[in-house]
Order: sequence, then C-alpha cells, then structure tokens
Amino acid sequence: MDNEELISRLKPIVAVYAQDKVALESMNPETDFIKDLKINSANLVDVILDVEEAFDIEIDNQSMEKMLTVQASIDIIKHKIGLK
Amino acid sequence: MIGNDVVDLQQALLDSNWMRRGFINKLFTAPEQQYIRLANRSADMVWLLWSMKEAAYKIYNKHSGVRTFAPLKLSCSITGLSADACQGQVRVEAECYATMTTIYPGDYIHSIAAGSAAALPQVRVQVLPNLPKIDYKAMQPTCVSHHGRYLALIF
Repeated sequence: MDNEELISRLKPIVAVYAQDKVALESMNPETDFIKDLKINSANLVDVILDVEEAFDIEIDNQSMEKMLTVQASIDIIKHKIGLK
Repeated sequence: MIGNDVVDLQQALLDSNWMRRGFINKLFTAPEQQYIRLANRSADMVWLLWSMKEAAYKIYNKHSGVRTFAPLKLSCSITGLSADACQGQVRVEAECYATMTTIYPGDYIHSIAAGSAAALPQVRVQVLPNLPKIDYKAMQPTCVSHHGRYLALIF
C-alpha cells in the first residue's frame, strides 16, 4: 500500500473526530492530529482503535506514543502490516 | 509551573464511548482501572483520571519539551475523594505532580496540577463559558483548557 492509498483510507477515520474540516480537506503527511485537525486528545485513542480495526493490526503502546501525525501513522501502519 | 484541564461531561458523553473495546486499556493503568470499576459513577471517574493526566502532561510537556501520546506513562493515584473534589498525584517517569480536581456532576470536571501540593491552594481558577468572543489571552492566564461549553483559565 503506498502513502497516497494509506492517506485515503486514513482520512475517513480521522474525519469523524477532526474539528477543523478545512485542515482535513488538505490533509497530508505533515498534518498533526491535534494541532492541525483539532482532534480532542481523548479522541486520539478512538483514531488508534479505528485504525486497528480498519487495518486489522495491533498498535502497541510504544507505537501509540508517536501517533500524533499522519506521517507517523503511515509509518506505524506500514510497519504493522509488514509484520502480518 | 502549573497545568490544568477541563472536561465538559456532556461533551464527553457525546464525543467518547469509554466503554468501547480497548478504550480503557489503552488509556488507564491497572490501578486506575480499579478506581473506575469501584466508582459509584464510573464515567465521572474516567474523566476525572483523564483530566488529572492531561493537567500533569501539560507541565511535563513544557518541562521536557517531549510531545507524546502516552497516557499509560502518566500514572494517577488518588489520595482523597469526595462527591465534589479529589486530591491526587500523577507520576511521569521520575516526576511526580500533585493534583486537585473539582467535580460538578453532570456539568464539568476541572483538574489543576503542580510540582508540589503546597502550590495548589495558591492557584486561582476561572471557569467561563467557551465563547469565541472572549479574549482570554489578554487575561494572561498561566494555562488554558477548553472543552465543549467551558473555558478554564488558571493564574
């Protein structure tokens, strides 16, 4: 799965929690979930749980710590899919 | 250094399903999960612990410059609890922050955290309606938290 495909699968997941819909439209690898999309920090865990379900992967606590941006999420998803 | 966090309980009810599978395990340590299980109002305990973590994280983040989503590394313990207040501690690595939380059931939960318990009574708290027209920066708060209907400032 390339970055573009991953972003297109990630977008509807974060769209549920993103409060800044303009930033969501231009979502790119540098996009920060909290600073740019204004996702409530308590909803970050929902993003992570939704990603786990959508990609059928398990995101361990160490990976979760880094999941603050789209790029970090792409790296983690790619890594976890590779482990399957 | 002080930090704060407000949780609008009605907003939390709309935005989060804390009973969803995995939610509690990813956010709360085993002792914290025990607090939630034993609480009369489990949902309030979820948001009480969460606001303690968030208030402490704000200090930790400013001190260390580390930005992370590691709620399990912020470990809460409760030293005093009543229907409308909670005293506790949050440990992060070698740091330990004292916290004081006020609870308005059905409305909001607000936590303040400081490097020592002695600093907590000196913190001035102002909770306002979260309206865009409020120029809170001009009020020069030490820390700001907003959620749902509430804007919480500390000085």
